[in-house]
Amino acid sequence: MQYQSQAVAKPYFIAAIGLFVGQILFGLILGLQYVIGDFMFPEIPFNVARMVHTNLLIVWLLFGFMGAAYYLVPEEAERELFSPGLAILMFWIFLVAGALTILGYLLVPYSGLAELTQNSVLPTMGREFLEQPTITKLGIVVVALAFLFNIGMTILKGRKTAVSLVLLIGLLGLAVMFLFSFYNPDNLAKDKYYWWWVVHLWVEGVWELILGSILAFVLIKTTGVDREVIEKWLYVIIAMTLITGIIGTGHHYYWIGAPEYWQWWGSIFSALEPIPFFMMTVFAFNMVNRRRRNHPNKAAVLWAMGTAVMAFLGAGVWGFLHTLAPINYYTHGTQITAAHGHMAFYGAYVMIVLTMISYAMPMLRGRTAAPSNRSQVVEMWSFWLMTVSIVFITLFLTGAGILQVYLQRYSGDPLPFMVVQDKIAMFYWMREVAGAVFMVGLIAYVASFFVGSRDPEATAVAGDSAAA
Amino acid sequence: MSQAFTKAMARNIFYGGSVFFILLFLALTFDTHNAWPQRDNHEAITEKVSEGKRLWEENNCIGCHTLLGEGAYFAPELGNVFKRYGGKDGIKAFIMSRPKEGVPGRRSMPQFNFSDAELDAIAEFLEYVSGMNTANWPPNIQG
Amino acid sequence: MRGILMDTVVRHEQARPGYPPGDLAIWIFILAELLVFAIFFAAYAFARSGQAELFNHYQATLNRDTALFNTLALLTSSYFVVRGVVAAREGNNALCARWLWAAVAMGGLFLVIKASEYADHFAAGVSLSSNTFYMFYLSLTFFHFMHVILGMVILAAVAVKAGRDGYSPDDHTGVETGASYWHMVDMVWLILFPLVYVMR
Repeated sequence: MQYQSQAVAKPYFIAAIGLFVGQILFGLILGLQYVIGDFMFPEIPFNVARMVHTNLLIVWLLFGFMGAAYYLVPEEAERELFSPGLAILMFWIFLVAGALTILGYLLVPYSGLAELTQNSVLPTMGREFLEQPTITKLGIVVVALAFLFNIGMTILKGRKTAVSLVLLIGLLGLAVMFLFSFYNPDNLAKDKYYWWWVVHLWVEGVWELILGSILAFVLIKTTGVDREVIEKWLYVIIAMTLITGIIGTGHHYYWIGAPEYWQWWGSIFSALEPIPFFMMTVFAFNMVNRRRRNHPNKAAVLWAMGTAVMAFLGAGVWGFLHTLAPINYYTHGTQITAAHGHMAFYGAYVMIVLTMISYAMPMLRGRTAAPSNRSQVVEMWSFWLMTVSIVFITLFLTGAGILQVYLQRYSGDPLPFMVVQDKIAMFYWMREVAGAVFMVGLIAYVASFFVGSRDPEATAVAGDSAAA
Repeated sequence: MSQAFTKAMARNIFYGGSVFFILLFLALTFDTHNAWPQRDNHEAITEKVSEGKRLWEENNCIGCHTLLGEGAYFAPELGNVFKRYGGKDGIKAFIMSRPKEGVPGRRSMPQFNFSDAELDAIAEFLEYVSGMNTANWPPNIQG
Repeated sequence: MRGILMDTVVRHEQARPGYPPGDLAIWIFILAELLVFAIFFAAYAFARSGQAELFNHYQATLNRDTALFNTLALLTSSYFVVRGVVAAREGNNALCARWLWAAVAMGGLFLVIKASEYADHFAAGVSLSSNTFYMFYLSLTFFHFMHVILGMVILAAVAVKAGRDGYSPDDHTGVETGASYWHMVDMVWLILFPLVYVMR
């Protein structure tokens, strides 16, 4: 660690991992509810468990992004963080607000929570992924502003690199697009149109900037390839991301009351959305092949390569599968969407946060640039367990989706929703098994922080060269 | 020199391309605003429909159902449920009929204990949604 | 003009065997742009094959004279750009800037004419939602319209730098980069014009 203030990243990363475990736990509950309909009913109905599952995902990824920024920016700016105290304060505010919100979901009926938090004053609740009470949303805005101020001031006063500027633009975009979550008109067509300005322009827009800059940072550090080369790639990739992704929003506008030309605009541009992901894969492999040193933290490099491949598969390939309007007409709102969502989120965002944690954690714990060999072996096991099981989850959900589309939408004698659900239950069972394996992988991941942490190669004090 | 691929150039493409497509997106959004009145069934939005939408949101219906294909995939599509159930009465009767403790081994919608007025508002909201022009989606009545 | 174009190519190859001219990044970008336009054109052809009569009918409502005039405007501007590159290569920055500004002016003329065409359409109540033909016509031409604006911005930036004596015979990659982009914008129109206005 080159700068003392980078240490504030550590609690962010720990919280991220903790919430990740919670997210997967609720994922398993949801998977079981798919096949045992009354599991935990009526105490934790499906909608509550799902809300916890998705909201925990968003919150822990945000913790991960913030931790990554706090670690990365001082090193890029070559100066201490503007205010480490503010970063720690915001950590606790965000954690407490997040925990209270999740507890609210679990302990109070949702309508009671709406009443309790005065949703009627400014109704923003009850829309997918934006279920948080309005007061929590305001809290998120405050935390985001303080965070951006802290990061922005650090960059402004220090060295400005492409990596940190792109990260800043991505984080700024994240905060700005979130403001659309406060717009909730009664007109459903408009409500849905602008809802996507948060959801799509996050995950297929500004978050990809964050993804790109973290990946670039880790590759600079682990491969030793010239910064100029990596930053050039970074710019080209994120340029393609926004060029395809902004109009690509149109692939959500086919069937929600927006004019029908979106079917053309959305299909054409979203069909190109895999290109930046493919470039990212080529980029990561290229840089690792041209590496000028063998970084001792092999697990971190594995995660970096993994995210480049899995983001392309999940977001690129599985996204393309159902993005063209004539196909989407049949697949819209089926398990195909769920399949794509799981692999895309895991490949692009879960893995990039884990990449950063894997790279930074040894230094944050005051050790050498890499954990012990034993620890790395366990971590790599967790990589493969989680990655392979998410591939299977995706394949099983895709199978379920294809059958669902055929039985419910395509065949000459379409069957009712619930009848179809019974017929595809087999796929849900297999998905749940794959989910359990994922949980094993996650446990192994957590364990890797404790395995071999006293081994000699891990405990030697980090020198400057190792930390660079 | 002509082979140069400069970082400055890549950066300019990023900034220029982003601004270009943001402007294009805003232009299309502007046109979408002009096109909505013919498609969004806004004339059907009454006080009651607004109240129905609020109830829809404050009971997190989207956490199980899809509405125009968006939401969770645990329970049926409701954008066309007004047509599928043949009117408001069918919707109201179904919501009222749900057992408090669920159905053993099966998925079941919770019992929300809505008042008659609330049930009516929800049904009116779903009627309004079914009147939107969704480019013929869903493909059939099963949603 | 053809002579000068050929001349440019030959001289260019003599001067520097390295192809393509300009910054390599712009060529990746140009290829990406051409890919988007190609897909758009293919989609147009696909939609047209299904509704040929509708397309023919509404195609007849377009003003081909103004479109032809616009084609000439863009061709002229490309010629000016070529002269600008030649001037830069010979180290005459002031002349280069003058040619580029002339090209920008022709681009501006294109915009004015196209905008007046749009004004007529909108006055007649035509919009993206009118029918499939108008959807494609407006989408394609407006998408191109914005490219013309972007191309003008790029040419203007290059012209400003040339005006400040910012290029030399050894280093005028920037001029070539801007010129390459502008030729792409011009070329797309040369496909768009017959495809949307003329062919039936």
